[in-house]
Amino acid sequence: MGDEKIDKTIMIELSNTFKDAVSDVDVPSPNRAVARIDPGKVKEIMQFLLDNGFDHLSCVSGVDYPPDKMDVVYHVTSYSAPLVITLKASIPRDDPNIDSLCGIYWNANWYERETYELYGIKFNDCPYMKVLLLTEEMEGDWPLRKDYAGYPDLT
Amino acid sequence: MEEGGLGMGEIETELPPNVSVTSASAIQEFIKNSPLQKILNWGRKNSLWFMTHPMGCCGIEQICVGVAHYDTDRFGIIPRCSPRQADVMMISGYVSKKYLPALQRVWDQMLEPRWILMMGECAISGGPWWESYSTVTHLDEIFPVDIYIPGCPPRPEALLQGFIELQKKIVAEQDRTVIPNPADGGV
Repeated sequence: MGDEKIDKTIMIELSNTFKDAVSDVDVPSPNRAVARIDPGKVKEIMQFLLDNGFDHLSCVSGVDYPPDKMDVVYHVTSYSAPLVITLKASIPRDDPNIDSLCGIYWNANWYERETYELYGIKFNDCPYMKVLLLTEEMEGDWPLRKDYAGYPDLT
Repeated sequence: MEEGGLGMGEIETELPPNVSVTSASAIQEFIKNSPLQKILNWGRKNSLWFMTHPMGCCGIEQICVGVAHYDTDRFGIIPRCSPRQADVMMISGYVSKKYLPALQRVWDQMLEPRWILMMGECAISGGPWWESYSTVTHLDEIFPVDIYIPGCPPRPEALLQGFIELQKKIVAEQDRTVIPNPADGGV
């Protein structure tokens, strides 16, 4: 965003703007920042970060915490500052769904599809929620969940 | 040809005297049992054009083999870019379940006689991904593999030796290629 200085003070702004939705803010090193976010507010938070210069969604991934919880992990960085923000949203494991970011970061589409096929996390309003790298027969197996029975494949 | 008239009797009913009719499969059968087959095999072994089809890190070595330093042209081994012009397909990496149909399609496009080299641990057994949820193991049950070249990746010299072993198999008629039978609608 032009001359605006982008640094870890964004985390203070973020937690001030979204008082209820952002928690556990931590800045472990000069170019790393971590926070937990409310899954219902993910679109607003990402739009806020995009407006403040964080123009690169680097990664969307999932973590499985059986028996009742799953995490969606977002890594957001900027092309003009050496800072990586890690945002984690916890969602229930029996009905994992979260809002899609495709309308904010255009490249979220493939990340979300891959997270969907590996974990079964549904991204609401993603325009093409289908498997990306697996075969279509494997949709529904969710291979990276902890209770996946197909690993190790010793056949 | 002593086997003339095989399979064609129902079409040609009346023949002039001293004329016999043969068929493509009868000719092929004749060639198979004659020294002519050895000449054909000699020609085939000296024109093992392989398909440039790198599938993983082994593909780097595969490309190296095709360049001037190793001079595979002296064995008649030339890289080709189209499956329709190639005689040898190298499976040079792990095959995921998503990729297997595409690989089979490439294999189907190659003209017979054709051969397969397995290059590297990933192709032979799955390599580091052998128990993964998305890797196809036991590729040799799907494709008729002639030569296995172990290594991670094998050196270009090893690949060249694999080709030479394949040439020996072709000369000895121990290879697993399937010569198409004209009766099945082939050549």
